[in-house]
Amino acid sequence: MSTAANHPPLFASSGTVTHVKSQSVGVPWYLWVGVLSVSSATLGGAWDVSWHRSIGRDSFWTPAHMAIYACGVLAGVIGLWLVARATLGRDEEMRANSVSVFGLRAPLGVFLAGWGGVAMLTSAPFDNWWHNAYGLDVKIVSPPHTLLILGIRVIGVGILFLILAAMNRAQEAGAANYKRLQWMFLYIGGLMVGGQMFFLQEFTDDVVLHRAPAYISMAIGLPILFALFWQASRFRWAATVTASVYMLCIIAEILILPLFPAQPKLGPVFYPVTHFVPAKFPILIVVPALALDLFWQRVKAWKLWQIALVSGVIFTVVLVAVEWPFANFLMSHASQNRFFGTMYFDYNSRPQGYDRLRLFFHPQYGSELVKGLGVAVVCAMASTWVGLAFGRWMRGVQR
Amino acid sequence: MVFFAAMPAWAHIGNKDVFEQVTVGPYTLFITIRTPTVIPGVATIEVRSSGAPIDSLTITPLLLTGEASKHPPTPDGMKRSKDDPQFFTGSLWLMGTGSWQIRFGIDGVAGKEVTSVPVAAAATSILKMQRPMGLMLGALGVLLVLGLVGITAAAVRESRLSPGVAPDEGRRKRALIAGTVALVLACFAVYWGGRWWNVEAADYAADMHKNSELKPTLEGDRLDLRLGDPDTEAPGGWLEVKNSDMLLDHGHLMHLYAIREPEMDAVFHLHPEAAGTRGLAMTLPEMPAGTYKLYGDVVFLNGFPETETAEVTIPEGLSKASLGAEDAEALPAGLSKGDLGAVYQLPDGYSMVWDKPASITANTPYAFRFTMLDANGKPAGDMQPYLGMAGHAAFVKTDWTTFAHTHPEGSAAMPAMMLADVSTNGANAMEGMDMGEAVKPVVEFPYGFPAAGRYRVFVQMKHGGTVETGVFDAEVK
Repeated sequence: MSTAANHPPLFASSGTVTHVKSQSVGVPWYLWVGVLSVSSATLGGAWDVSWHRSIGRDSFWTPAHMAIYACGVLAGVIGLWLVARATLGRDEEMRANSVSVFGLRAPLGVFLAGWGGVAMLTSAPFDNWWHNAYGLDVKIVSPPHTLLILGIRVIGVGILFLILAAMNRAQEAGAANYKRLQWMFLYIGGLMVGGQMFFLQEFTDDVVLHRAPAYISMAIGLPILFALFWQASRFRWAATVTASVYMLCIIAEILILPLFPAQPKLGPVFYPVTHFVPAKFPILIVVPALALDLFWQRVKAWKLWQIALVSGVIFTVVLVAVEWPFANFLMSHASQNRFFGTMYFDYNSRPQGYDRLRLFFHPQYGSELVKGLGVAVVCAMASTWVGLAFGRWMRGVQR
Repeated sequence: MVFFAAMPAWAHIGNKDVFEQVTVGPYTLFITIRTPTVIPGVATIEVRSSGAPIDSLTITPLLLTGEASKHPPTPDGMKRSKDDPQFFTGSLWLMGTGSWQIRFGIDGVAGKEVTSVPVAAAATSILKMQRPMGLMLGALGVLLVLGLVGITAAAVRESRLSPGVAPDEGRRKRALIAGTVALVLACFAVYWGGRWWNVEAADYAADMHKNSELKPTLEGDRLDLRLGDPDTEAPGGWLEVKNSDMLLDHGHLMHLYAIREPEMDAVFHLHPEAAGTRGLAMTLPEMPAGTYKLYGDVVFLNGFPETETAEVTIPEGLSKASLGAEDAEALPAGLSKGDLGAVYQLPDGYSMVWDKPASITANTPYAFRFTMLDANGKPAGDMQPYLGMAGHAAFVKTDWTTFAHTHPEGSAAMPAMMLADVSTNGANAMEGMDMGEAVKPVVEFPYGFPAAGRYRVFVQMKHGGTVETGVFDAEVK
């Protein structure tokens, strides 16, 4: 499935192929800046959420916010530089590697990142107005926050495409920097898996892990990325690597954040917080990711829909088999330690809440659960198919 | 003949701000708390110190009752004015609807003291989007939609071409189709986002505070008052408030003001009592016939105060009963007869005088001072506490949109003040107030009018066993 020979129509480029001569050994500086930009947003997002859970009150100028804005600024700098170079035409190679949008020229990733930047910019006054109209958000998923998160993530997609085009060209030319670009691609992919889990965190809280909706949400959001990265990166362990990046980031957060003191500056305070509250322990998605990698390595000759059907079952069954019992552990005293961190609570976590009592919220059983998990399997199948198909398309991206 | 009308407000109809004069140890603070109209939102706080000199002031938001009342967040310092060292300002987030307290930490020449003022927080308004903001967001939205179309078309047209190769006709056509599909999807996303926005706005509107409904009925000269809320679970249903869900305020579950419409030429301060586990009732005194606006002040168990409103029409000759011992009445000249002046002549020869400021501006805190004079024009010597206080005052706007029942300590409800009392930890909440010291003939009410317009002010003080009601008019700019 993963070779051009298996799917010739998708991989053939129309017109004459012109190899642009310069395939440098190194990686262009702007790709490193792009990687830094996405890393900065990831760090800022995690820090900001912790800030709201520990201190509560923030301002425009918190370091966490600065890290998020830095993502937009850095992406803006490289975007403007690349647009100027490609549009004004002084750099032939850059011009050849670019696409045209409304008369401007730049690599496709730059336009995507620019779109994300405009979305971020739009969300700022929108969010401010939203707070004035309806009060400060107490939930992550509000319309202006969704626009902000969408903006940040599209910047990530833009950087991913910048790397992708360079990586695909390097692969075709057999350039020495191919491996390095592939790892950069996988790293950004891992941060995107983290971004997906960040957006799903209200659906995948540990107290709801004995309910089907948690698995349905992950079945929609994860296989698409794993399949896409597996296809586009040409790396046989892509799903495992990207899932590991997410898990390592969260585990690092649990180990690091509580080292720093923080006190609530907002009431009502139901739990006396003294240090930064980290994220909940990551979902063990590396296990279904490994299962998918192993499966995909063995079925390269299958049709996409056949792979997707089986992948949906594998993903859901392995995820539930691993996470369901692990959730029991997370509810137990044994997990209340510095590594698993289930003894950290928000300052406004109510004493009679499921989280504080370490009780599962309305656990599902029997036919209700089976039906829900059935939905998850179907979602995972569809998600995998979209990821495989789009990932295969991405292999051909050159600009 | 009897009907009710609900008004969108809570305690002190049309008055969201809290004005309190607090004396703790040697320190005296005049506190103004301007509560937000959206929740969560920012309350701004102003303090004027008039007692012993203060070095620093801190403010902390806490719920008034329950677990969260035991864990204060980190206090915030108040900022001292450069021009006026006795004046402090600060702001705090109130994160949820409910009964809050702001705790003040005072540090000064006489050491540290702590006091608390109750604040009822509830969402009361929805902001409309201003036109320039709407236009700007609209323009950015259009840019995002067009950008999405252009990027999709470029991706299909050129992104998979080898560097330097020009797209052929087939690719251009596919790009056009892809761009169109992207436009349709983007329009659908915008439409879906708009619907989501409407749902969020409707949720917010549903969570906005609504006072309980007050339903009065007349049976002969007996007034029955039922207090309740529409049952959100069962459409058409009504859940009546239990009397045990309310706190006694100066010994009464409800302080009921009845003011005759439209002239405000008859006012009664009445105290209906519990009739069983639910509902209140009383025998009405002799009242001039007409339609009366009812303002009933109640305080719920968590210290949240509400002023419930309704109307009742009193027919001619309904009652011959005399006024209750703790009730009060006044029959001033009607609004159309002009301003009542700064001196109000009382029926027994006494008079009440208002040290009325030359001009009164809206949203400004004042300590309005009233003095009771005897028949000889001297400060009255036979003053007594009325309902445990030196006086009670009601500030009512003549268009009926504003009503505030306040006390010499301020506009917060007395049971809530007792719950917030740091020295007793709320233990006195169910008791009336004890007036240990002699009552002076001069009383001050901290208050700020919420908006410009004409107001009528009803002030009650007691002397020699008689409760007197002085009536005044105020033109607020």
